[in-house]
Amino acid sequence: MRHDCIIYTILGLLLIALVLMSGCTQAPAATGPSEIKIGVVASLTGPASTTGKDIWQSAELAADEINAKGGVPVRELGRSLPVRLVQGDDESTREGGMKAVTKLITQDQVHVLVGGYSSAVVSAHQSIVADNKVPYIISGASSSAVSRRKDLDTSYMFFHRPNTDDSAEASIQFLTEVFRPAINAKFGFSDGRKLRVAVIYQDSPFGKGQLDAVKSLIATKNLPIEVVAEEPFKMGESDFRTVLTSVKSKNPDVIYAVTFLNELVPMTQQARRDVGLNTVIMAIENNDDPDYYSGVGMYGDGMVMESRFSPYAVPAGSTEAATRKFLSDFDRKYGGFAGMMGAATYESVYIAAAAIEQAGSLDRAKIRDALATIRVPQMMEIMKNGTITFSPDYRESKFDLYVVQLAMDQKLGEPRPVIVWPGNLKAGDFSIPDWYTPGSP
Amino acid sequence: MRLAQVRTPRNLLAAVILALALIVPFLVGQNLYLLTVLVLMLIFIIYSSAWNFLTFSGQGSLGHAAFLGLGGYAASLAAVRLGLPPLLTLVLGGLFSAFIGILIGITCVRLREWFLAMVTFGFAVIIQTLVVSQLAPVTGGWDGFAVPKIVPTSIPGYLVLEYYVVLLLAVLVLVLFYFLLRSRIGLALAAIRENETEARAAGINPVPFKLFAFGLSAFVSGIAGGLEIFHFGYITPEIFGIDLSFWPIIYSITGGLGTLAGPVIGTIVVTLLWDGLNVLGLTYGRFIIIGILLVLIIIFLPRGLVSLPGEIEKRWKRKGE
Amino acid sequence: MDGGIAVLGQVAFWGLYSGCIYILLATGLNLIFGVMKVVNFAHGEFLMLGTYITFFFFVLSGFNPYLLLFLSIPILIGAGIIVERLCFRPILGTGKLNEIFISLGLIYIFQNGVAMVFTDEWRSMKSPFADLTIAVGPIQLPLDYIIIVAVTAIILVCLSVFLNRTTTGKAIRASSQNRKGAMLMGINVERMDMLTFGIGAGLAGAAGTLWAVSGQVFNPYMGSVPAIKGFAIIILGGLGSIPGAIIGGLAIGMVENFTAFFLGGSWKDAISFILLIVVLLVKPTGLFGEEGE
Repeated sequence: MRHDCIIYTILGLLLIALVLMSGCTQAPAATGPSEIKIGVVASLTGPASTTGKDIWQSAELAADEINAKGGVPVRELGRSLPVRLVQGDDESTREGGMKAVTKLITQDQVHVLVGGYSSAVVSAHQSIVADNKVPYIISGASSSAVSRRKDLDTSYMFFHRPNTDDSAEASIQFLTEVFRPAINAKFGFSDGRKLRVAVIYQDSPFGKGQLDAVKSLIATKNLPIEVVAEEPFKMGESDFRTVLTSVKSKNPDVIYAVTFLNELVPMTQQARRDVGLNTVIMAIENNDDPDYYSGVGMYGDGMVMESRFSPYAVPAGSTEAATRKFLSDFDRKYGGFAGMMGAATYESVYIAAAAIEQAGSLDRAKIRDALATIRVPQMMEIMKNGTITFSPDYRESKFDLYVVQLAMDQKLGEPRPVIVWPGNLKAGDFSIPDWYTPGSP
Repeated sequence: MRLAQVRTPRNLLAAVILALALIVPFLVGQNLYLLTVLVLMLIFIIYSSAWNFLTFSGQGSLGHAAFLGLGGYAASLAAVRLGLPPLLTLVLGGLFSAFIGILIGITCVRLREWFLAMVTFGFAVIIQTLVVSQLAPVTGGWDGFAVPKIVPTSIPGYLVLEYYVVLLLAVLVLVLFYFLLRSRIGLALAAIRENETEARAAGINPVPFKLFAFGLSAFVSGIAGGLEIFHFGYITPEIFGIDLSFWPIIYSITGGLGTLAGPVIGTIVVTLLWDGLNVLGLTYGRFIIIGILLVLIIIFLPRGLVSLPGEIEKRWKRKGE
Repeated sequence: MDGGIAVLGQVAFWGLYSGCIYILLATGLNLIFGVMKVVNFAHGEFLMLGTYITFFFFVLSGFNPYLLLFLSIPILIGAGIIVERLCFRPILGTGKLNEIFISLGLIYIFQNGVAMVFTDEWRSMKSPFADLTIAVGPIQLPLDYIIIVAVTAIILVCLSVFLNRTTTGKAIRASSQNRKGAMLMGINVERMDMLTFGIGAGLAGAAGTLWAVSGQVFNPYMGSVPAIKGFAIIILGGLGSIPGAIIGGLAIGMVENFTAFFLGGSWKDAISFILLIVVLLVKPTGLFGEEGE
């Protein structure tokens, strides 16, 4: 019968497919490694793909540079090996991340993993990394809940990013040290007056983490700050008018906005233009991107932002040259700005190379041990004490974060940032914009 | 019923697939990647079959991730808070999911089929909002929390064991659906699906049957949710995502709506296609290809890929004549 | 609440503005449902296409974006006609679930097709009137929103004139009231299907232009949630009833914004569905729903 015929054909095809699949998995045993394989976990598809592309391209830039200089010397082998990056697309989902990371570890047999962006995606594949003991330099997953997990062995995971507490601390410090005295002086408020902060945050791990960090910081340090409003909004929201109207009725001195770039731009415009909210918006590091400056236009004038890697405000000092080179190389090769996630991943590839060189081996355990004690001079992002090193407790690197203020550049038709805090990095002074009105006394 | 007909080649095919599934770990050995892919595939086979079971009663859901997630959260909370073994809490999660499912069902049986689709979609959105806001003290909000694995990772080769556990559950679910559909319940469901008014006239009260289908579908989805979470070892509210509601629909339609083998074939084919297209570097392209495939199948092959051999045979016969 | 009435008035105005988008979406959906009894969940993709057409031609030509309504509406009418002919006509009458499933496929095709061309980065554009505001009592109203509300009203009036005064419009209404009867009267019902679907898509395209002009950001995935809310609206307001769609759209716009004001922005999406479920519990056919499938 014809019917049987078809069924048997399908059967046969299935069998062949399976044999092929199992055949593919038998990796040929080479006579010794000929390259260093670094797996890059990035969201190349799905909602986080814009950042994912930055991560992949920056990693590629770093690997090309390392290979152009002859690769990484490995003592055990007595020669230098080139770096080869292997792409792992997590598809911006937990399932995709799990598949991608397992493939990188078991099929591609990578020596080190770098990347990782969303906390939720990383949390799903952490167990695979822990089981297989692969060193993983994570440049995202800013939630401390991910880096400080107790239920599994995180000793192979290294976090090269400020966690939510770190970035909240920098912003709040700026508000207490600079912002509050400035408005107290200008408007003649008493010293005992608390600064009125309204928090508008994205309803997500990212936003919630920042809100919690801000609140606990104010409480534990007993800071003269009062949170007068906590307003969540849905991820991807573009209409903030009602939320801002609600915030306006609470009379804040400053708005602390925990947003993605696509949310901050309409929020800033709607606050100043539609709702007539003449208050400074304090944004956080992930928004420091050329699209922000061109997007907000004149409404960005006077706003402030906590940052660690900026397209236009490059801190003077040892990192300036490297940063400018990276920005121009990236722009030449891929067009555009790599963003802080790109910068951190670029550094991560270098950190991985340094760890392999220090370990003198491609053995995963030895690379891990090298990472745990590594001390690399800061490259582009400013680090505490000028050195990239991972803390002994949760293996997190410590950043020196800064705050920029935007000033309208009439010639360009969009604002440009100036570093106004902390003292050792600043290029200008914070000034209260003319249009600013403080909250109720 | 079409699927109840015993055709030797078809049974043989099922037997061979099962045998292959059983010996896969021996073929691929300790290959973690293939095992992970297969475990996820099996979990989605369970989930898609559960979704597909709903269509046997003429109902449809656009928010089945709600039940996947409810089962996942209930099972995880029971495992973490009460310290019960994951295999037991799986069932608890399923029961909780079924309970909520029946509540939704009670409110919805009187509605038109596509109102139900709307309500379920909305329900998934509402549940996710609740889990991250009002219920956050229990659920950990957006941060989620860590959960144990199905098989403790301390046991060597735990992934192989995990694979067999999931395979066993998948087979159990399929066998359960097979016998249910051959029973009087299956006949009643088919009657309701084809024409509810006539079914009523024949003395079948559709309400309990529809509720049963909804409850069972939610139960099995809940188990799939628990399995997925115990496989990851960490739960977050992303489990209620729209994409997780849509995948079982795509799998079932591709394989064949209202057939037992449909979700199985559909899940396998679409997953392979999906990962294969990724290797080819088609990022947005693969969504478009899946979309076009879906549209083409609905228009030209409404019974899905499982009906393809039959359709081809028909064509051949027609040509021969 | 400080400021009391003025603040609430301001929130109500934001509700009116977002209501306009919903009204255009829901009116189109109801028009289509009335004539074809078809459920197109991919309707939001027409909204998304509308924003991108406006964006593309605005960047290309620099015309006043409101003029681009005369571009986005006809293009979307064309797109609607093609989609109806290729995808919905072949499955007409095979059941609501099939229609929902085919729209799922269309959603994937449109979203990722646009993402391939424009990438999935968020986009926004700036209206030439962006910096102008008008004071109405204690409330400052940006000129753009006043224009948007006016444009919506004009579109609805035009639609009503078309449906009530022209022969084609009357034929559409006839097919909506009684398909078989219309067929017997010599109306080409299939042509009416195509036309209605096109007009529905065109209305969504207009909503897309207004969305973009108001300065809201958009990306290829922005359409699905507003469209599903559009369905909630037509169920609430009554299937096939255009006044129902207008009242329902306005109501959802208001309820959403007042919920965001009182309960917080995270409930903004969930509230429309809660409303829907509550209404369906009380009245399984929807608030004003009588006929339909």
